[in-house]
Amino acid sequence: MSDPSEALASAKGAADRIVKVKRLNACLTPIKELRKSLVAQASAAHPSGVLYGMPVAVKDNICTLEFTTSCGSRILEGYRSPYDATAVAKLRAAGALIAGKTNCDEFGMGSSTEHSAYGRSLHPFDKTRVPGGSSGGSAVLVAAGAVPAALGSETGGSVRQPASLCGVVGIKPTYGRVSRYGLVAFGSSLDQIGVLGRSVHDAARVLSVISGRDPKDSTCEERDSLRLPTVPESLQGFVIGVPKEYFPQELDPAVRRACDRAIRLLRELGAAVREVSLPHTVYAVATYYIIAPAEASSNLARYDGARYGPRFDGSEDVRALYRTTRGEGFGPEVRRRVLVGTYVLSSGYYDAYYRKAQQMRALIAQDFRNVFDRGVDLLFTPTTPTPAFKAGEKLNDPVAMYLSDIFTVTANLAGLPAISVPIGRIRGLPVGGQLIGQAFLEDEMLEAAYALERAVPAGEEA
Amino acid sequence: MASAWETVIGLETHVQLRTVSKMFCGCSAAFGAPPNSNVCPVCLGLPGALPVPNEQALKLAVRAALGLGCTVHPRSVFARKNYFYPDLPKGYQISQFEQPLATAGSLSYLSPDRGVATATIQRLHIEEDAGKSLHDRFPKQTAIDLNRCGVPLIEVVTGPDFRSPHEARTYLLTLKQVLEYAGISDCDMEKGSLRVDANVSVRRAGETTLGTKTEVKNINSFAYVEKALSVERDRQIAVLEGGGTVAQQTMLYDSKTNSVRPQRSKEESHDYRYFPDPDLPPLVLTEESIAEQQTLLPELPAKKRERFVEKYALSVTDAAVLTADRAVADYYEAVVHAGAEAKTAANWVMTEVLEDAKDHADGLRVAPGALANLIGLVRGGTLSHQAAKRVFAEVAERGGEPRNVAEALGLVQVADTGVLAGWVSEVLGTHTTEVTRYKQGETRLLQFFVGQVMKASRGKADPKLAQRVLEEKLAS
Amino acid sequence: MSVTHDEVRRIARLAELDVGEEALPLLAEQMSRILEYVAQINAVPASEGVKPFVPGPDAVRFRPDEVRPAPLAFGPAELAPAFRDGFFLVPKLGQFEQEEG
Repeated sequence: MSDPSEALASAKGAADRIVKVKRLNACLTPIKELRKSLVAQASAAHPSGVLYGMPVAVKDNICTLEFTTSCGSRILEGYRSPYDATAVAKLRAAGALIAGKTNCDEFGMGSSTEHSAYGRSLHPFDKTRVPGGSSGGSAVLVAAGAVPAALGSETGGSVRQPASLCGVVGIKPTYGRVSRYGLVAFGSSLDQIGVLGRSVHDAARVLSVISGRDPKDSTCEERDSLRLPTVPESLQGFVIGVPKEYFPQELDPAVRRACDRAIRLLRELGAAVREVSLPHTVYAVATYYIIAPAEASSNLARYDGARYGPRFDGSEDVRALYRTTRGEGFGPEVRRRVLVGTYVLSSGYYDAYYRKAQQMRALIAQDFRNVFDRGVDLLFTPTTPTPAFKAGEKLNDPVAMYLSDIFTVTANLAGLPAISVPIGRIRGLPVGGQLIGQAFLEDEMLEAAYALERAVPAGEEA
Repeated sequence: MASAWETVIGLETHVQLRTVSKMFCGCSAAFGAPPNSNVCPVCLGLPGALPVPNEQALKLAVRAALGLGCTVHPRSVFARKNYFYPDLPKGYQISQFEQPLATAGSLSYLSPDRGVATATIQRLHIEEDAGKSLHDRFPKQTAIDLNRCGVPLIEVVTGPDFRSPHEARTYLLTLKQVLEYAGISDCDMEKGSLRVDANVSVRRAGETTLGTKTEVKNINSFAYVEKALSVERDRQIAVLEGGGTVAQQTMLYDSKTNSVRPQRSKEESHDYRYFPDPDLPPLVLTEESIAEQQTLLPELPAKKRERFVEKYALSVTDAAVLTADRAVADYYEAVVHAGAEAKTAANWVMTEVLEDAKDHADGLRVAPGALANLIGLVRGGTLSHQAAKRVFAEVAERGGEPRNVAEALGLVQVADTGVLAGWVSEVLGTHTTEVTRYKQGETRLLQFFVGQVMKASRGKADPKLAQRVLEEKLAS
Repeated sequence: MSVTHDEVRRIARLAELDVGEEALPLLAEQMSRILEYVAQINAVPASEGVKPFVPGPDAVRFRPDEVRPAPLAFGPAELAPAFRDGFFLVPKLGQFEQEEG
């Protein structure tokens, strides 16, 4: 695309396609506002940008100058950000069109997009099921063909898990690869902006654009943008580890079959595959659910109705203002996590919970280093333990919901890049396989992902 | 009554660092701007904003730590101090907790009771300032101005080292002086660039365990430091003598009534849930960067005082006056360096120069070279001391070279013995009674004659020379 | 390991979050469930003396001391729910009693 008329056509097309899937409740931006903005953006976009005219939807917890940034929450209902996230500014500079804000679990806290204050998003193939979360809205729009790519965010798997459940590609970069400036913080040492795309190529292109140094984020590494590899002829020379802890006895047999098929294909492509062990995996979810809520409890302290966002008022004094706003503005999952987070940081509990969890995290990271140091290039695992589950199924027991992150949280804890690629169907529902790479070696991971994507019959039953 | 009790005081001082921008963002750190005009996503605590630390703030903090004799830790960590308050937009303050920038320092000061005393500096760490809450501007509302939010601070914490409110105040003034010398801060309590909270407890003389301490806040000037601490000490003693116990709480000082009252209990407010700030990697300093700050430390007040006593043969008191302000100390040395005699120069600086500087914002108005010149003119007999003071005032106000100014004002002393002899004759001629009395033994009348010669010459006579001529004349 | 209603109230106060009395039982139960689940990490003894791991740069980078404010498309007045004469407004401090400054 190099022509303003093409960009305009792309803008209108995106608006039309997004309207068509309105009932999936994936896009939070009112369609009139969206259409108007897309058309205006199309005429202002830089024709020489590498993503010129490409519509990219953005998760509701990433700041954009257009549209609202409400993080799927009441407490930021109607909030308009006075600045763009760095990732969004980079998309804009590359000529992309910001195609609305997508629904998500409130503040990124959830694995089903059922915890949004704006209603749940529906799975594109089965409206009784969840698309996963927290970046459910982004996954839905991509899966439904409304946009080729969308930004999401990861703290414990919130890009890869919905990608797996919806049958699209989801990439989480190495921690520090993409600036977090403008990503509304949930678990600061875990958060990264990630990309969902209809193909590895689409997702990777967008990731390349949004990656790279940012002086406004102290945790962003001083590196150039991610370079895109070419699609390899074979995977000769790659050593792929299969960690046994990710294939427990009780793994859904259909998921196991899909993974076995993928592993066989990787071997046929020339990769050496060997079994490895990441012994502390069993503690990963527990470790995550101490660290993430702890950081969240602090990151969400700023939402008090004082300086921006709505007030839940009637308050006589400022303390009442805070308590009412936060009590009514946060949904039940956020409230639970803020309270758990406050608890594990509080005096008397800090050592047993938070400090201990940070040490566990080090052991988990060490597990990966040990494996990579012994000549393994990448790891292959299932992304999710099951395909998309039914709405309401996991709402009664918070821990049951947390366990759907079991294969994804380790990459966030260790700060490693990971990608989910569709590898098959289970009773018609998509399921993904995950590659975990070494820090800042996304290009190797993407090479293997390209090859796998090309080889695997993702539309076939496992 | 008071001597049966011992007062124990520790001080936590917050000092704003002299940077142009804030600690974690590029907003201006200047004082006095219209409310909420120096703000950005970071210091407003907007969703998605992130902190990036200020290089100069760190340098000044290291310099301050070195100036206070601290051990500077090459690796320290930023931590979040979590609590809710209207002027704290993020709901936490970025500070340092378990691994602060510096520890184990000390500062000597002159205690009014104990001579030279040493305060232990337990820790010095970097943090960001909060905004300002104004409770009386609008009825039923609190107004919040976030201009100050994010300004860089160092917090300097002493041990429970002070045994009287006066000591505490002296330490504070000494601390201020050291930090001003090192260019760290303006240390202006009125402008809020230096703030202090105190921990106060009492115990019976001879006891070794510490009593329950209270925290005293809202002390807004150096004078109030002593008053507030005295009031709190007296209150605690009264409670204990009445058979009660001191409650651990925060007391607010009210300068209008010179009293303290408890801040209504903030319940759980003291569980700050500190944890390392995940938005900021560790603060790592190289040996070279620490050494660089050491070289940038100027000669500090105590050392300079000692050197002045030694080098210029000044009294300790005079040295203290001259070194109170670094600019004055540098000025004094420049005057001596330009040729003035040390003691004379000291007198001039302590009197005329400091008086003039007090009344004029531009401070030291007479260049050191000019003052040295002036002092030379007096020493050489060209000007009387009185005349020189007039010349000084003129040079301060309108500039000019002292000799020229003196001539223009007609103040140059007459040292021509011929002319002097004329005045002497005139005076002796009109005061024959006194001459007789003098010759009969009332030699103190000599000063009277000198005075009369000065009068006859309208102040132009060189009094020393006049005296000599008079003595000669009277002896003959 | 059980979280009592009182503890939930205490934590909610620390977190400045209103929790209605009727929500307490379920919340206490859910929090207990979560905390019990995560406490399993204490079963691992080997982590004593292990240094915590945090991804990202090893040392913080500094910004030069210059006045270069990050841009705001619109200012506090437009952001604030209540604003007057340049100040953010909140209901008066009842529980907090600090003097000006």
